[in-house]
Amino acid sequence: MSIRFVRAGLQTSIQDQGRPGMMDWGIPWGGAADPLSMKIANLLLDNSPNNPVLEATLLGPRIEFQCDITIAIAGAQFTTMLNDSPIENYKTVKIKSGDILDIGRVISGARTYIAFPAKIEIPQILGSAGTHIVSKFGGLNDDAIRTGDTIDLINIRPVRELALNKNFHLIYTNQSQIRIVPGSESDLFPETLTAQFYKTTFEVSPQSNRMGIRLSGLKHQQEKEYEAKKVPMISSGLYPGSIQVPPDEKPIISFIEGQTIGGYPRIGHVIKAELHRLGQLKPSDKIRFQKINLGEAKSILKKKRELLHQLQLSLGKHEKEFLIL
Amino acid sequence: MTLYPHKNLPAITNNGDCALDIRFSDSPSKELSSIIIRIREKILQLKLSGIIDIIPAYQCLTIIFDPTHCSHKMLHSILSQNIDIVLKNPLNTKHKSKLIRIPVCYEERYSPDIEFLSDYTNLSIPEIVRRHTANHYLVHMLGFTPGFLYLGGLDPKLYCPRKDTPRTQIPAGAVGIGGRQTGIYPQATPGGWQIIGQTPLKLFQASNSSPFIADPLDEVEFFPITRQQFTTLAQVASNSTPRAITP
Repeated sequence: MSIRFVRAGLQTSIQDQGRPGMMDWGIPWGGAADPLSMKIANLLLDNSPNNPVLEATLLGPRIEFQCDITIAIAGAQFTTMLNDSPIENYKTVKIKSGDILDIGRVISGARTYIAFPAKIEIPQILGSAGTHIVSKFGGLNDDAIRTGDTIDLINIRPVRELALNKNFHLIYTNQSQIRIVPGSESDLFPETLTAQFYKTTFEVSPQSNRMGIRLSGLKHQQEKEYEAKKVPMISSGLYPGSIQVPPDEKPIISFIEGQTIGGYPRIGHVIKAELHRLGQLKPSDKIRFQKINLGEAKSILKKKRELLHQLQLSLGKHEKEFLIL
Repeated sequence: MTLYPHKNLPAITNNGDCALDIRFSDSPSKELSSIIIRIREKILQLKLSGIIDIIPAYQCLTIIFDPTHCSHKMLHSILSQNIDIVLKNPLNTKHKSKLIRIPVCYEERYSPDIEFLSDYTNLSIPEIVRRHTANHYLVHMLGFTPGFLYLGGLDPKLYCPRKDTPRTQIPAGAVGIGGRQTGIYPQATPGGWQIIGQTPLKLFQASNSSPFIADPLDEVEFFPITRQQFTTLAQVASNSTPRAITP
């Protein structure tokens, strides 16, 4: 029982919850770049939330199925076709042996997740099936999927038809406002630079990846010396969402395969409740940052968890915290 | 009575909505690293719910947690108490530290920034190599990427600034200097350090039972090799664990 990649796509990989708890070895969390979408795809199939899935990025794979199976796709919207018919995200899709699923090109967002009611037969490395693309380990043969690769699916379960109510579909735009809280070094930045940071509309650079989301430079009123260089800094733990400002003043948002210790001063941190959105940023998207305080961050997280609880109830899933962020 | 030899107590600061930093103002040292590692072990022993990662650094310990399981305020007070306990207990200095010898080729094709360093420091290239291989470096912590060793003990004459814009790709095994630090990039990644050489050893092998070549508080020594030796050792390294290699 297997699927074959007729086209691998730009960066398609097997992902799950990743490897939290190993940062002191320099191993970042990894796993799905947008874990929420991964969990919704698994929820539609009544899988466990972190059952390994395929993560497709910008240009998706073309897959030939050699088994009958029902799948679910959640996350970014792509031009997905099953044989010659377009198919939608957020619902179960019946597939017959011999069918071709073409994920196509992205329309909105950046990454989409394809879940199977089955086990993907690959070894667990350091407790996870997830692919660490930067350091090349885990997943299928320690890397992203290559054209011609085959994945074996075992213990395929029949699943009932299910669709997520449209109210719960996540919509991605190419202009995001992202909420952040200050961190250990935020107060050490010159006020002018901080003010400029919150006024600037940044553009996501094509050099962005699972390690870091690189942004265009800060816009200055006039030519002047870069100020970020002057911020005193001691290296400390860095985790997804931390926004470093190197001396060239092109901020880098640390991401799921980011370095675990940072050497550049951090102006702020994307709040936990919005981390999943980072996985849906693509080159040329515009983003602005909004500063909030810890109390606000906490209540946003709480509200979002309540919403996700409603979402899982709408699919008949009653266990608590299935969709925990 | 406190046995903590440093003058300043650490500060506990917020590092985003899911992390706290314990920051020391003392300079990096073996003593400080031992204290940081001991605080880390102490927190692990508490088995607090919601703790995700505890990352040691030269002068800082970062605790990453789930804010729905524990609040900043509560964790802050638990940390203060336990830092106090660690600092008031005698230092156990009997750490079994290993010496790890690492071959480095400093020749031209592996050292794109050695001429910059030579200009910046006013030292000849052979003098840079001599100074870089003269010291034993302390492994303060692992981090940055899987298996990267943060080393202390760089000759101050070799201090040099990082690149203003990090390179988007540096080869695995590249040996660099950034500020007051030297180290080896375990895998091909972006990085901002000046590259002065390359080792054929693999610093991280995920499927090995011990994936890394060193632990915090071990010591590292570099020794120079030629391009030919680099090629030979690279073949050996791909078939065995790096610990076995000696000059």
